[in-house]
Amino acid sequence: QDLAKKNTANRQVVEARRQMLKEWLEWRESMIRMLEEEGAEIELNNGKVHRDHDGEVQEIE
Amino acid sequence: MRPILLSGHERALTQVKYNPDGDLIFSVSKDHVVCAWFSHNGERFGTYHGHQGALWTVDVDPTSTLLATGGADNTMRLWEVNTGELLSTWDFPTAVKRVEFSPDGRQLLCVTEKRSGHLGTVVVFDINPDPKAQQSKEHTLRIVCEDSKATVAGFSYLAEFIIVCHEDGSISQYDAKTGEKLFNTQAHEEDMLITDLQWAPDRTYFITACKDKTSKIVAADSLEVLKTFVTDTPLNSAAITPVKDYVILGGGQAAMDVTTTSARQGKFEARFYHKIFQEEIGRVRGHFGPLNYVAVHPDGTGYCSGGEDGYVRVHHFDKPYFDFMYEVERERAQELSNL
Repeated sequence: QDLAKKNTANRQVVEARRQMLKEWLEWRESMIRMLEEEGAEIELNNGKVHRDHDGEVQEIE
Repeated sequence: MRPILLSGHERALTQVKYNPDGDLIFSVSKDHVVCAWFSHNGERFGTYHGHQGALWTVDVDPTSTLLATGGADNTMRLWEVNTGELLSTWDFPTAVKRVEFSPDGRQLLCVTEKRSGHLGTVVVFDINPDPKAQQSKEHTLRIVCEDSKATVAGFSYLAEFIIVCHEDGSISQYDAKTGEKLFNTQAHEEDMLITDLQWAPDRTYFITACKDKTSKIVAADSLEVLKTFVTDTPLNSAAITPVKDYVILGGGQAAMDVTTTSARQGKFEARFYHKIFQEEIGRVRGHFGPLNYVAVHPDGTGYCSGGEDGYVRVHHFDKPYFDFMYEVERERAQELSNL
């Protein structure tokens, strides 16, 4: 009986985590959509500003 | 990997910050000196001399060109990162406790201390990102905190809001253009000072640290408390890790309240919690006094902490840090890979 109780408790913990993860990911998606609609380039680039010379390779002799 | 110890400061660290590329760490301390270090090996990149008092705060602009500092000499200063040249000084009637650039680096805010005859304020300046340009001495916005003094503040996504945390445990949201107060919420226990505010990379939410021994994740637009992390020690700092969904908390009881043995053994710990499940997942020991600040590498590859003991400890995360997953996270990853 103790084992059964423990298993139920564990299942509840896992189910609670599953729910938390789901809610968090949904909220994050809504925030990213909002940033896209607002054209928040820096925010969507992890706070980094695109620079003109990004991606160019400078050769040093 | 063993941590790298940066031992260039003679007094307690007050703030440490990575630049957006993560190759540099800036540190400020009560010893009046600003230091810059290479994050991968801990070599010193340079120092910035000029402040006449304890330093409380530092921030670097998004292009790593300009550095802002503030301290007990009642000034905020702007430096050129590469040359160490002092570009501009702003004077205030009281100490500058926090500086922060806006996401695009074109605005800079500072939090000034409350002292007899002076209320605490948050003051905003426009910044010209060109280091050769003359910076305006006139503020564009000044928020006076009449109810409770401001301790830390920052710009939300798109510099839409200024979020201000207070010594009474409350958080306010201001319109960053007009300075109008939009919202106030008692997020932490009453009369418990909020010690830190750090942003998620996209600045839609932030994390607080508080003397009430908790840290909270709060949405920038609604000020809704989304997550709470409960510890057994007053907190000085909290940071959000990118890549993995963790947060790192730093704090500790003040020296007089701690047995000498625990200090001698370097028992002051950085605490790792799972950001979504709010459970503690690990601790890192090392400092010989409370952790005054924790900062995370912008790519999520490591973190550094500044201690009351005068040291900065730089940690690079090992593989198990990245591999660790809760069952439901593994499930989710599996689902995504099946798509």
